[in-house]
Amino acid sequence: MMALLLDTRLLLRKVKDLRCFTPKRNRVKEKWAATRAKYPPTILALQHFDATYGIQLGQLWPSVRVALLSERKYGALFNNFSHGAVLADLEAQGCRDFTRDTDTEAQPGPEQESKVVAEGESSYVSMKKSDADGQQLSPLQLSPHIKCLVFPRGDITRFKPAKPDMLGLLGYYLMDAASVLPCLALDVQEGHNVLDLCAAPGGKSLALLQSQCIGFLCVNDSSVSRTTRLKKVLHSYVPKQLLTDEKLRITSFDGTKWGEIERNTFDRVLVDVPCTTDRHSLMEDDNNIFSRSRTGERRKLPQLQVELLLAGIQAACPGGEIVYSTCTLSQNQNMSVVEQAVHLARENHNIHLQVVDVRPFTHMFRKTFHFAPDLPLGEMVIPHLAANFGPIYMCKLRRLT
Amino acid sequence: MGTRVGARQLLRWTIRNASSVVSPPQFWRCHLQPLCTGCRLLCSSTSLHHEISPLSGKPNTELSLRTFLDMGFTDTQAEQLCETVSKLRGGSAAKHALSTLTALFVLGLNPSSVLKLLDKCPELYSVKEPQLQQRIDNLRKLGLGEGSIQRVVAYYPQILTVPVKTIKNAVGFLREKCLFTVQQVTDIIRDSPAVLAENLGQLEYKFQYVYFRMGVKQGEMVKSRLFRFTLDEVRHRHSFLERRGLYQTPDKKGQTVIINPKLDSILSVDQDIFLTEAANASAEEYDIFKRLMARELQEQEQQGGRIEADSDDEEEAEEDDEEEETGGRSAYRKRRKK
Repeated sequence: MMALLLDTRLLLRKVKDLRCFTPKRNRVKEKWAATRAKYPPTILALQHFDATYGIQLGQLWPSVRVALLSERKYGALFNNFSHGAVLADLEAQGCRDFTRDTDTEAQPGPEQESKVVAEGESSYVSMKKSDADGQQLSPLQLSPHIKCLVFPRGDITRFKPAKPDMLGLLGYYLMDAASVLPCLALDVQEGHNVLDLCAAPGGKSLALLQSQCIGFLCVNDSSVSRTTRLKKVLHSYVPKQLLTDEKLRITSFDGTKWGEIERNTFDRVLVDVPCTTDRHSLMEDDNNIFSRSRTGERRKLPQLQVELLLAGIQAACPGGEIVYSTCTLSQNQNMSVVEQAVHLARENHNIHLQVVDVRPFTHMFRKTFHFAPDLPLGEMVIPHLAANFGPIYMCKLRRLT
Repeated sequence: MGTRVGARQLLRWTIRNASSVVSPPQFWRCHLQPLCTGCRLLCSSTSLHHEISPLSGKPNTELSLRTFLDMGFTDTQAEQLCETVSKLRGGSAAKHALSTLTALFVLGLNPSSVLKLLDKCPELYSVKEPQLQQRIDNLRKLGLGEGSIQRVVAYYPQILTVPVKTIKNAVGFLREKCLFTVQQVTDIIRDSPAVLAENLGQLEYKFQYVYFRMGVKQGEMVKSRLFRFTLDEVRHRHSFLERRGLYQTPDKKGQTVIINPKLDSILSVDQDIFLTEAANASAEEYDIFKRLMARELQEQEQQGGRIEADSDDEEEAEEDDEEEETGGRSAYRKRRKK
């Protein structure tokens, strides 16, 4: 008798936790736990941002902070391939295509002139910029036919979900209107070969396809499941004829390897890298890169971003253009990455790059977006309650060799 | 002079009640009750059920007017009162009117204050005299002294329409749940009498918001006249500061990393001053923020404690959601952070 009891005690001592006794249905799954962690990732993100952006943005930070913590504003990327009175309906609700809602003011200074000519579907801004080294003509063109409707400044109306037309294609795609800017800046032209290196979930690829002038589009994302989702998105918006193998290729390769796969191939490359997705990190605890378990991954982001940009640079052909974009305000992931990649391209691959100034471009859209002032390299849309888009950073490079 | 004026007013009164000319007996009868109370006033006796005997000749309306004039009202004021009283519904309403007026005069209010007060709160006409007196006495018991009580009644006459029991509940709540001192409760009543008529649930929510979320103690609450403001006003201004990074909820030890602005610099100032001094923001920003916040709060209340099953999260369970575009057909599904 005694022995039996003893055995039970020994047995119980060996059982450290009661998990094996708890029926599976009653076990608490961490994701659905009733009590939250003491410092959920959203709080960690906020603390991190307060420390970095408080210094980086100074007086601007409080306005950006309140905008990031409040409901974001969406734009409706119009689907040129859909049928129906979608555009008229949207405009009747009070929104406007921001790509047309531009400032036609002349730039200050005697040596500079700006001319805005609306030719058919494309906008063309020509500027002469004077430089310490003399006059430099930098014509700036936008990818054509891309339309993105937004409600006016201060208007917080929400878009209703898009409805399919008689052919089953949706009328518009809801996305951050600022995300369309890198696509416009890419300036895809007739017959171009275009690579979207980190494409998922597919909004920017979709925007590029709206231009209807791409010769061949390569869409890639390192994750298979995200690429699957991307395919679904494209099929919901684009007619099948334009998604054939002659026009489109969708892959799930590691983007950093592109330098080895397809060098000197593309006229245009979009490198929209994974980043700390500032807005998402402040609002959602799920899949949050500020979770303690992902600290290593987060710390290695700038390195990954440099590798991706470098791969994109190598994939572009001489004379080709690359647009680098992120959705973070962090200097480490923005300017520093571009500088580093440009440096490595020259040092290791003998590729020389020129930075293409997108300031006239952003000047054009300042009615719709708030841009960070005086950024030494690239341009950045910063969130503000009256225009709660972004954050979006972008920088455009041109391969000289 | 008086009779001439009286006669003119009588004429006006008769013309206004042209229909009554048709049936004089009814006219006399329905106006005899004010006459009755008028008599009561003049005789200052408490319970009267004397016979209603029609007077011969003299119309009793002149008496009503005369009554008002005797109380100290000007001609125009008396006329105005006559009109209001005649519009009151129910046979007893007119009777109460005079007793209400009496009680208010006894309180020490002058005729023009009384008139303003009754305009603000015509419900007072229908409060029975003993009740009215009881409520006034109760306010005195709560610490409102001479001067204070008149000011409170003049500023917020509705307080006299609130039953004593309701007031007892509100005071009990403030003392026992919120732990305000007796003096603090008196100060609150004097400063924001409307708190006594407020829904207790709302009151509790407001108190808890300010106490726990903002970390403000009772003394500061009273000093900043917290109870004058609605819950939304408090929430909007506080959240705006909080999200700008200018206000922090104190931790368990009551400490914050930054110095929080005082409650009265947040609430009891005009919006312009609040924006320039406390928030350092533009009016445009705050206006948009208030609208966004109103919508957010409305949706939070609708959702209650419902757990949302977001199908998209399931798909992405093991994947990094690195893209900024949440896009697609409907993109507003994500839960809001508080």
